[in-house]
Amino acid sequence: MQPRRRAPAARWLAVAAAALLATGCAPHSVTEQGRAVYNLYNLFLYIAAVVYVIVATLVIWSVVRYRRRNDELPEQIHGNNRLELAWTAIPFVIVLFLFVATLQAQGKVLDQSAKPAVNVTVTGFQWSWRFDYDGTGAEVIGTPERVPELVVPVGQTVRVKLQSADVVHSFYIPQTLFKRQAIPGVTSDFDLTFEKVGLYHGACVQFCGLQHADMVFRVRVVSQGEYQSWLADAVRRGAAGQPGT
Amino acid sequence: MATTELPLPALPEAHHEERGGIVDYLTTVDHKKIGILYMVTAFTIFLAGGVLALLVRWELAQPGLQVMGENTYNQVFTMHGTLMIFLFAAQVSTGFANYMVPLQIGAADVAFPRANAMSYWLYLFGSLIVFSSFFVAGGPAAVAWTAYPPLSTEYFQGTGMDLWIIGLSVVGIAGILGAVNLVATIFRMRMPGMTMFRMPLFTWGVLVNQLLILFAFPPLTVAFALLFLERNFGAKFFNAAAGGNQLLFQHVFWFFGHPEVYIIILPIFGVISEVIAVFSRKPLFGYRAMVFAFFAIAALSFGVWAHHMFTTGAIYLPYFSIMSLLIAVPTGIKIFNWIGTMWRGSITFSTAMLMALGFILVFVNGGITGVMIASPPIDFAVNDTYFIVSHFHYIMVGGLLFGMFAGFFFWFPKITGRLLSERLGRWQFWLFLVGFNLTFFPQYLVGLDGMPRRIADYQIDRWEPANLASSVGALLTGISVLFFLWNFAVSIRRGAPAGDDPWEGNSLEWVTTSPPPHHNFHHLPEIHSERPAFDHRHRDNPAFAGAHTDPVRHDRG
Repeated sequence: MQPRRRAPAARWLAVAAAALLATGCAPHSVTEQGRAVYNLYNLFLYIAAVVYVIVATLVIWSVVRYRRRNDELPEQIHGNNRLELAWTAIPFVIVLFLFVATLQAQGKVLDQSAKPAVNVTVTGFQWSWRFDYDGTGAEVIGTPERVPELVVPVGQTVRVKLQSADVVHSFYIPQTLFKRQAIPGVTSDFDLTFEKVGLYHGACVQFCGLQHADMVFRVRVVSQGEYQSWLADAVRRGAAGQPGT
Repeated sequence: MATTELPLPALPEAHHEERGGIVDYLTTVDHKKIGILYMVTAFTIFLAGGVLALLVRWELAQPGLQVMGENTYNQVFTMHGTLMIFLFAAQVSTGFANYMVPLQIGAADVAFPRANAMSYWLYLFGSLIVFSSFFVAGGPAAVAWTAYPPLSTEYFQGTGMDLWIIGLSVVGIAGILGAVNLVATIFRMRMPGMTMFRMPLFTWGVLVNQLLILFAFPPLTVAFALLFLERNFGAKFFNAAAGGNQLLFQHVFWFFGHPEVYIIILPIFGVISEVIAVFSRKPLFGYRAMVFAFFAIAALSFGVWAHHMFTTGAIYLPYFSIMSLLIAVPTGIKIFNWIGTMWRGSITFSTAMLMALGFILVFVNGGITGVMIASPPIDFAVNDTYFIVSHFHYIMVGGLLFGMFAGFFFWFPKITGRLLSERLGRWQFWLFLVGFNLTFFPQYLVGLDGMPRRIADYQIDRWEPANLASSVGALLTGISVLFFLWNFAVSIRRGAPAGDDPWEGNSLEWVTTSPPPHHNFHHLPEIHSERPAFDHRHRDNPAFAGAHTDPVRHDRG
């Protein structure tokens, strides 16, 4: 655990206020695939917010307006078929609409390129990650203390082939808005196309034993040129029996 | 109208002499006493699970490991989930059901009183087996309540895991036995005139919930048996290297796991329906639609299990997505019918009613985020983060606990003859409402920001404010529960006498004494609608004579 500064109360308040302002918004995605998730999430969020406000308003209005004022028994109403039909049919239509939007976004998220530029086999193990760059001999092996880094080029399709060496793990990069379980005996494929250069946090999100919390990694997205020189370097180190981290 | 014309229900053969005291409770086959045993046991387990939750929040209040090591933390959150889901959530409702269902249908006891007692004792001893894992070498299981192999098989040594499997299997069998009994009771023990469509909504909720148990618990027992064989006898059901399949466990587990959510929440829907109708002084709006919504939810609940597995990449997504989204429709019917019940009513803000209103406001929040994660792309983003933790706590803590406390405040006077203090109840309610939202709303935000669940520590500083808020909220929630314990301790001895019918109730339990006699009723009214106690109370009022809207009034009554 690295030493850390104590945050002053004022900074907490500022962060809390900022967090509340951004209430419920998903982080912007840094991949092409994740953009579809971001848009879909916001669509759901807006509809959800409207529904919640309607329900909460109706509840609060009815309890304030119809609070008990005297001992007279109110009119004994047992139901209203037309109303009940309406509040069955309207949610049904909303749900169908959300389902269609889901199907469209899902296609974009799971679409796979015919010729991915980079192929990486990612292996989860207790409690770190191994990244093998297929066909190059470059490999990165982490430990809980030595956080491994997945280096990929910007703007190019990266095909991840995910597997597990022991128990179930889950490969998650929050800013891609995507994750996938690494299941023993199963190889799972998906594409990530990073659109922005940067350093991103990643973690295992499927509980996998004692040091699950330490099973983190980083993704470094670099330009095509930097990637090529990093790769050449990694291949050389790999040949010398010193896999990088 | 005379109230003694109907023959009283015959006592079941298992009727025995009153002995009084502890011996009486140890040997009882009276559904009311067994109901109390269930409620007290489940609530005690809830307190233990709550202490574990506070430990989790203490550890996560700040980054770094301050309170406990990783292994202890993993055990603490595993046992928190285990106690709450397997040993508390369904059983506290079974307690309500045991006590109230025979009263609500005008029966003297359940169909199988001895099996009922056996079910309770199996539940108690199964729970004790699970608790015993705290005292063995290596301590309790640290595999999360979902116990996915191979983590829970090859990769977790120690007797704690085996005690976990054995204890929970026993509790599961207790649940199946209890369900057979309650279903038989509701089908066979109703008094003359109590047709199915005159049953109170709580009884309907229990019926559907127990039917779900009959279908969902056997697969769970199978999952546990396979796990036990794999751990101890080298079976290879889930071992990929030997030709097994890990996904098989996920399928079997969630085939139980998702219906379990509705097993927990349907009786609570019933409680809320009773409480809102009584404190609005109106009949339940759309009674039949409410019953059909129960069945719609139950049917859909068996077609949605794999939405817990969207991120495996091995699921046919559209089917499980649309089935999960559709559950919003019958659930929405319930919410709107509750609002319809309050609309133009005459609403009293008793603590029970406040809890019911709190229930609606937090449950709808959890339901709405449930719709979000029914969409696979959104689930890819938030699954296994704190967003999910928050979502299901809005359903479980928000839904179940607000509903449970509504039930406690509503029925405590019937069970003990004394009222709980309304003043302490209001303190509890407001502390709980604020504490609960302060605990879980920030978790949506850190979850969206990518904080994984089940981690003992986090290195990202910007997650700290939300986590600290969560921990403070958890403390407030804990204090609100202390208010309840205080209220309970004071009121059970010195609470104001309740009388038979303190709330002007609708269902049959309110026409008998508080507490009810051993055989439940000294006399029973005729049944003309789904509100027999209301009809009985207004029997001399010409405005209500013949005003029952029950479409089948001339069958047996």
